[in-house]
Amino acid sequence: MATHDTTEATDSTTGPSKEVVTWKTKLRYFLNSDFVRSSPYWGIPFVLMGIAVYGGIGYNLAISFTDYAGIGRPEFSNLSLEMYRTALADGSFRQAAFQNFVLLVGFTSVSLALGLFLAVLLDYGIRYKETIQTIYLLPMALSFVVTAQVWLWMYSPGNGVLNVFVTALGFGSIDWLGNPRIALAAVIFALVWQFSGYAMVVFLAGLQSLPSDQFEAAKVDGASTAKTYIRIIIPQLKQASVGAAVVLMLFALKAFDFLYAITGDYRPPNGTDILATLMVREAFQYGQWAYGAAIATMLLLLSLSVIAPYLVYQYRQGAL
Amino acid sequence: MARLALDDVTKEYRDGEMSVVAVEDVSLDVADGEFLVLVGPSGCGKSTTLRMIAGLETITDGEITLDDRSINDVPAQERDIAMVFQSYALYPHKTVRGNMSFGLEESTELSDSDIAETVEETAGMMGIEDLLNRKPGELSGGQQQRVALGRAIVRDPDLFLMDEPLSNLDAKLRAEMRTELQHLQEQLGVTSVYVTHDQTEAMTMGDQIAVLNEGTLQQTGTPLECYHQPNNLFVAGFIGEPSMNFFDGSLEENALVTESLAYSLSPDLRRDIEAGTDLVLGIRPEDVRIDEPRTDGQRFAAEVIVVEPMGNENVIHLRFDDAMAGDEFIVTTEGVPTVSAGDRVDVEFSEAVVHLFDGDSGVAIKNRTLSFSGTPDEVIP
Repeated sequence: MATHDTTEATDSTTGPSKEVVTWKTKLRYFLNSDFVRSSPYWGIPFVLMGIAVYGGIGYNLAISFTDYAGIGRPEFSNLSLEMYRTALADGSFRQAAFQNFVLLVGFTSVSLALGLFLAVLLDYGIRYKETIQTIYLLPMALSFVVTAQVWLWMYSPGNGVLNVFVTALGFGSIDWLGNPRIALAAVIFALVWQFSGYAMVVFLAGLQSLPSDQFEAAKVDGASTAKTYIRIIIPQLKQASVGAAVVLMLFALKAFDFLYAITGDYRPPNGTDILATLMVREAFQYGQWAYGAAIATMLLLLSLSVIAPYLVYQYRQGAL
Repeated sequence: MARLALDDVTKEYRDGEMSVVAVEDVSLDVADGEFLVLVGPSGCGKSTTLRMIAGLETITDGEITLDDRSINDVPAQERDIAMVFQSYALYPHKTVRGNMSFGLEESTELSDSDIAETVEETAGMMGIEDLLNRKPGELSGGQQQRVALGRAIVRDPDLFLMDEPLSNLDAKLRAEMRTELQHLQEQLGVTSVYVTHDQTEAMTMGDQIAVLNEGTLQQTGTPLECYHQPNNLFVAGFIGEPSMNFFDGSLEENALVTESLAYSLSPDLRRDIEAGTDLVLGIRPEDVRIDEPRTDGQRFAAEVIVVEPMGNENVIHLRFDDAMAGDEFIVTTEGVPTVSAGDRVDVEFSEAVVHLFDGDSGVAIKNRTLSFSGTPDEVIP
């Protein structure tokens, strides 16, 4: 590029005055280019996004290497991985990480399975019509705070709907959220209620985009309806499942708002503490900013480790 | 292998008060090993008929039998019928091998090794053994078409159904596959029903063709019967490319009088026709003689509008002197064109080759003289 420019300059110009004109012309061309002229439109969001998101991530990372505990200004002269070491050795961190993993796997797999099941049922029933699916998607329209409140009432040990049934069947009342051994399962159940509709819509869209002749070809080939779905139709939903799974897993990693809304406190019910709630508690309740920042950084790395394979998969499929 | 019969089969789609009859009282008989082509324009009900045979549509009325056994209530899965779809409907996530073995796995009790062997054998016959481990997305249109055929053949079905299987191929490949399909069908001897809107495919491939229009059967017969002895105006116009020329008129005294010509009818011919009856005179483009030594036919003066040389034949558009603009007729001649646009020529219609149809009902009153003892050439006077 550079050599090309110089040859052009020497070829087309004979004196220094002309060269100045060329330089000015080039500047004018540059200022008139689409890149420069459109910059106010993309530049401002670009800068804001850069500062707010990536600046924030960077600052968080920097803090995590200090031992800042909320008094005075963070001290950047002595950076170390101490906070990470502390976290990995900390029992409550390990427990939160384990519970987060259970939530991630349990919530994602149950939501996907239920969503797929609902989608197949709907698809089979309404293959050529379009209705009911909104009913299943409706929970998604609710705020997590609302969902949390609703389930809090349902799980209430005194007069919650679930316990009304349980006691009517002759069992003793169960403290769903108070018992650490079942609290996580109760939370997963409530989240599945809210998110399986989303998984269903993603699967249903995938199902409905498949041409009917796939069903017909399988039918003529002698396959029963169940076999057709299992062997022909569902394998073609790979793309949809991967997309839905990534969204659900990312949510499971940072399901802070739901747990926060259940108690209205930094401390979620016993047995349901996850990394996001631990991080917020350490930072905003106890003022352990550096420790909280270290947890946040690990959470970010976990999220990236979920997204990265998805991006690689998309790239291999030629979708990126 | 089996004999297929349709007896007054009707398909009616009902949606509340609305009712559409897609297929009405269609009766067909396909002998064991025969190749029947269902042909007709879009929306004539040919695909619906095929889908009823396959069991993909219910039958409103009538009966379909396979080897004298009614299959009305037999689900598609148990009919032992293979079908090739227009879109091929290959399973995109399965390899060619998987596509071909799926039907055998689902509809037979064969062991895995037997299935693998049968698939290899059929793939060899279809010339697709190199493709067995590829997926449909990696294949060309022609290869996909072969796989779709192979997937149907491998099952060795009682009945072979094809729904416009060649319509997505380019012209050259389509002509090749046409021949190959015929060979294959003869070799396998499977009773086959083939749906197409392309009259060339119907003429060249079928042992029998059944012409459908607006849900009703117009004619069944060999391709040459339908070509030379059409039952009615629709069949006459649909079969043959370029189509038969038609002149609307009525019988006045001893001649058929149209806007542009008066064609005298021999006493034999007009004996049973009342004076004043609306008639349609039909003549195939290749049966019109242009500027040739006179034979026994009647001659009319016409002007050449366009000449389209095709190499082996020429398509010549002509117009009678007092006909309206746009009211042209077509003549085909062989060899090098002897006329050019603007020429005035004499055309001759011999009574042996003209067709007469009733103007109201379209039913054929007289077809060209022809016996089917030999090839048409031998009997054309």
